[in-house]
Amino acid sequence: MSKLNTACCSRRHFVAANALGIGSVALNWLLNQDEAQCAVERPELAPKIFDLKPKPPQEEPQARAMISLWMQGGPSHIDLFDPKPEMAKYDGKTFPGKIKYDNAAQASSTVLASPWRFHKRGECGMELSELLPALGGVADDITLIRSMRTGVNNHGQSIRALNTGRILGGRPSLGSWMTYGLGAETENLPAYVALIDPGQLPVLGVENWSNGWLPSIYQGTVVRPQEPRILNLDAPPQLAGAPQRKSLDYLRRLNQRHLEKHPAQLDLQARIASYELAARMQLNAKEALDLSKESKATQALYGMDEPVTREYGSRCLIARRLVERGVRFVQVFTQNQFWDHHGRIRKSLPTACKKIDKPGAALVADLKARGLLDSTVVHWGGEMGRLPVIQNNAGRDKVGRDHNTHGFSMWLAGGGFKRGCVYGATDDFGHQATENVVNHYDYHATLLHQFGINHSQLLYKRNARDQTLTDGQDGRIVGGILA
Amino acid sequence: MQRLTLLLSVTCFVLVLETAFVPVRAADAPAPTFESTVRPILKAHCFQCHGVEGEPEGGLDLRLKRLMAKGGESGPAIMPGKSGKSLLLERILSGEMPPEDNTKLTPAQIAVISRWIDAGAKTAGLEPENVEEGVLMTAADRSYWAFQPIRRPKTPATKNAARVRTPIDSFLLSRLEQKGGTFSPDAERRTLLRRAYFDLLGLPPTPEEVDRFLADDRPDAWERLIDDLLSSPHYGERWGRHWLDVAGYADSEGYTNADTERQWAWKYRDYVIRAFNADKPFDQFIQEQLAGDEMVSPPYENLKPEEMDKVIATGFLRMAPDGTGDGGVDQMVARNQVLADTINVVSSSLLGITVGCAQCHEHRYDPIPQEDYYRMRAVFEPGYDWKNWRAPRARLISLYTDADRKQSQAVEVEAKKVDAERLKKQAEYIEQTFERELAKLPEEMRATVRTARDTPVKKRTAEQAALMKKYPSVNVTAGSLYLYDRKAADDLKKRAAEAAKVRATKPKEEFVRALTEIPGKLPKTFLFFRGDHEQPKEEMQPAGLTILTASGALTSHSLPANDEKLPTSGRRLAYARRLTDGKHPLVARVLVNRIWMHHFGHGIVPTPGDLGMLGERPTHPQLLDWLADEFMAGGWSVKHLHQRIMTSTVYRQSSQANSELHKVDPDNRLYGRMPMRRLEAEAIRDAILSASGRLNPKGFGPPIPVMADRVGQFVIGKENLNAGRPGAVIPLKGEEFRRSVYVQVRRSRPLAVLDTFDMPRMDPNCDSRASSTVAPQALMLMNNGFVVSESEALAARVVRDVGDEVENQVRRAWKLIYCRDPNADEQGEATAYLTEQIAQLQSVAPKTKGKQPAGKPAPQLQALASFCQTLLGSNEFLYVE
Repeated sequence: MSKLNTACCSRRHFVAANALGIGSVALNWLLNQDEAQCAVERPELAPKIFDLKPKPPQEEPQARAMISLWMQGGPSHIDLFDPKPEMAKYDGKTFPGKIKYDNAAQASSTVLASPWRFHKRGECGMELSELLPALGGVADDITLIRSMRTGVNNHGQSIRALNTGRILGGRPSLGSWMTYGLGAETENLPAYVALIDPGQLPVLGVENWSNGWLPSIYQGTVVRPQEPRILNLDAPPQLAGAPQRKSLDYLRRLNQRHLEKHPAQLDLQARIASYELAARMQLNAKEALDLSKESKATQALYGMDEPVTREYGSRCLIARRLVERGVRFVQVFTQNQFWDHHGRIRKSLPTACKKIDKPGAALVADLKARGLLDSTVVHWGGEMGRLPVIQNNAGRDKVGRDHNTHGFSMWLAGGGFKRGCVYGATDDFGHQATENVVNHYDYHATLLHQFGINHSQLLYKRNARDQTLTDGQDGRIVGGILA
Repeated sequence: MQRLTLLLSVTCFVLVLETAFVPVRAADAPAPTFESTVRPILKAHCFQCHGVEGEPEGGLDLRLKRLMAKGGESGPAIMPGKSGKSLLLERILSGEMPPEDNTKLTPAQIAVISRWIDAGAKTAGLEPENVEEGVLMTAADRSYWAFQPIRRPKTPATKNAARVRTPIDSFLLSRLEQKGGTFSPDAERRTLLRRAYFDLLGLPPTPEEVDRFLADDRPDAWERLIDDLLSSPHYGERWGRHWLDVAGYADSEGYTNADTERQWAWKYRDYVIRAFNADKPFDQFIQEQLAGDEMVSPPYENLKPEEMDKVIATGFLRMAPDGTGDGGVDQMVARNQVLADTINVVSSSLLGITVGCAQCHEHRYDPIPQEDYYRMRAVFEPGYDWKNWRAPRARLISLYTDADRKQSQAVEVEAKKVDAERLKKQAEYIEQTFERELAKLPEEMRATVRTARDTPVKKRTAEQAALMKKYPSVNVTAGSLYLYDRKAADDLKKRAAEAAKVRATKPKEEFVRALTEIPGKLPKTFLFFRGDHEQPKEEMQPAGLTILTASGALTSHSLPANDEKLPTSGRRLAYARRLTDGKHPLVARVLVNRIWMHHFGHGIVPTPGDLGMLGERPTHPQLLDWLADEFMAGGWSVKHLHQRIMTSTVYRQSSQANSELHKVDPDNRLYGRMPMRRLEAEAIRDAILSASGRLNPKGFGPPIPVMADRVGQFVIGKENLNAGRPGAVIPLKGEEFRRSVYVQVRRSRPLAVLDTFDMPRMDPNCDSRASSTVAPQALMLMNNGFVVSESEALAARVVRDVGDEVENQVRRAWKLIYCRDPNADEQGEATAYLTEQIAQLQSVAPKTKGKQPAGKPAPQLQALASFCQTLLGSNEFLYVE
């Protein structure tokens, strides 16, 4: 321990003890100099080292962690969340207004009323589609926003709007901003985790968890669906377990021997400690990903006992375990264009819902049961919704719906968001958000607010300019969805 | 008299520095003065509104004590002796001033002002009569150490002459002896060898090189080794990289999120490496980088190699982020930012002063008025005329000579012949196919269809158009021919390939990323109010820093605005000559300080990018000046300086701390031992490749590409995206094993293995690197694909070299990684580890055998790889003694 103490003994102390025979002129200069030096605040000159230590937000936060269930492709809000009884009258007829198409070649103007029924669910009476029975079970715990808008009709751009604040690429993702601003509550696990689907990566691939121009420690760490689950954090398969432990033991002996020859080198000690921390991270990651530690009942809650929900349910459960252990931001991805139902929506939408509905609802219920929901935001949503008219009008089974980013739905739970709340509305056909519109930057401003952060004050200096997530857009705090 | 005070204060200063700081306040301390205590605070917090910028607010100017006593509209600001009755303090204490929340004074600062007023509000000397432009330069400013001329100091006497090998040693040892210390003993020769290799080449010595040096018992073996290393082509790769840090070298434009690639920046990188290898005199090196284009006559055509080099050298001024070629940027903001970043690069690399702080207001700490910033800007504005801008592509200079162009045209004529032949053939094929298709139609239709088809699309009647729609198969085109006649299409493809082949014989057209001026165009430079380009004020003429003339170091700071003898303005050339004329007080100090830093881990001034007030003071100012003078006297030769430094005792010391000295000097600021340093990112990667035997020593050329892998980590590889997701891997054929200096520096894609070990991001440049010690580094060394695969390659190499005997393998791996033989204990322990690991891996091998793909290494080899990896992750490998 005495070795470590020498770190605090700087040059200043040393010379203070040894200063002899300085003339009074020099002493005067020195004293004044010293006073002036301490009086003028000095900006940081040394290269800044960024870290993931927990950082207190500006305000008392409602939320401390977030799980985003990212629904890539654009789930059809008018078939799942936003009932439009008026549309029944127009079913099969020409849409009476103007439509913003994405794919004009396959477009039609024939209205497709939702083939599915909606029911009032929970005490709040939230109307939800019959395709989401499990979500109905937690309707009283969620806030449903029916007036989302990004206004840019392509997957990539709209993903960027919702995930990075702007439609152009290269910016840091939401999770990067959060971990940059808040760090993480654990040093034994990555601060920001991306749980990817075993299928193809979603649109934009690895850009989804990019740190953009923030320092790279704020990049999302991918937990892969197969071994090694976390690259760099998991041992290469051939060395996993005992062989690597042996190697680390041997490494410690080598380093110890080396340190004995250089006892004064603090950095050498720090590096030995960094290996210990790394080994601990490895163990902790293994433990965090080990679902066999969960009870049968919990596993069943997430649908792990049924083939259709097993995979997605496992990842939702992993997300909970990560957040429980101090991870700040977890995003659970669907596979590429999972909800992009340009055709055959009658068959593919129910299939998609069967995989996703139960695990997502289970996550809310489970967090609530463990007392974690109050401090954890759960987000469910994709980059867009879908149009009220038919795309690919080639027969009943083949019809689908095209993109719609002018009005769509998503839900939030926990972290100080209202329970059993429906917010905002679209027009009679669900095409345009009309009431209490929530733009992507409003969503970001509100979200950061729940974490105790003013969106215009979480800054990163770049190109001699302060950068923010909302990038100067006038994000409003959506008070109507806050408890 | 003036001269005398100046000299006196310099002497005092040196004395002070040699004894450093005393934090205790003596009871009988003389009264604080305005200049030394209060002015810095007011300068940082108040001067802008109360003095520098336009009419002082409330009529109150705080720049001089007498102006404060006179006061403003509310009356005198201070009452000497009575802080309680001083308006200045009242306003500050009430929180009214300064008005902005983020510029409020701290209680300590307020106490300083209060004490000063109570002690009579003294000044150090007579205050000037006139307050001229912007900032006032005080006697303290003028006598600041870094602004004084460089004079070669006398070598001090030492007690222990035996340890003095060079004058450098005298300076350091005399200080050490004053503290009762001395140098540590010389390090072992193998330690010295490894130190020298990493210092000069960034690579470890091979086992053969180790043996050769240890067997060399000539008295000057060490000097010979240094000379050998200095003549290695790898020297420039190592030291060029240091310079590329301060130049802010990048292979992409940065600024926008697109971070567009710079295709030709590498020519500047190669120029730097070649310059270091050739030991190009640094004054010339600086002149070429600042004004190479002005040393060659425009237009830049048919350049001789040495002329080409000069133009390439100006790439130095083209390294700052430049988003002006990308969409979606505010052009005026982006252009001015290029200028601002370029000035930052120049000032931090060559002047060691944060001139950039004076862009919006006078420098808050250093005596640099805002005018000085725009005078410096005027030096660069003819090249960067923001109102007549040239985007990055438009600034490229083709290296085609007239001969190349002629040859290229000749080749084009040949290629056109092949094209014509192909087009003729194509028309024939289309006709033949059309006839075949037409023949399939009913007889009576053929004539009308033929007419319709032969009518140009726009001139077809409605019936003709309908007819074509009805019989789409007759619409044979070059694009659809392959659907009818595969053979014909293949023939055409072959012919197209032939044309391409002919064109490929053209001389390759390469470009230079350069800064040039347009002769005859001389834009005016204006001072921008608060740095805002939309608020230009008075016109500024090119000049250097005023303080350097005020301090007496230079006789003039103005520069010619337009050199009539040159087609260009000549501003940069004149500026470059000013910087390298041997009298400039900053340039040589900054450079030798940086060279010292790369040998010892920290500079004599520990803040190499800032020798100003905010930077730290030199620990050995006399040594710094001796080195600066030696450097210039030695013809600005960096290699000469290496020799002087490395043959000194200070460099040859052991790094093992002497515990007595360590207690008084824990930070080793007295150099009583050689500091221990972690290898930089590039040296770690290069040393791993060197040990594994896979290092591809090829030098120069286009950068090795970096891409995102399947989880978003940046790895070496050629991007092959399919809808945003990684596609098949494109083999790089050994290029992936080249030295790190050749790896693409795309600002938005730092190579993970380098990034983890603190490779800097260029925004816009880096004047000193961080050296962190964090868990992700450990994880990378334990688990990263690059480290694992190189360990496997290293194991395979060891087996190739020495066969299957475990003891031999240990010795070989040890020497490849640590550059020495293991001692008996180490050998025993390593052998035991390896034996156990083999057993461990064998015990699990049968279980996984079924799953393992063919060609998986045997447990013996895997264990050896794990042994090598452990050594690569150990401190002895990662640090240099």
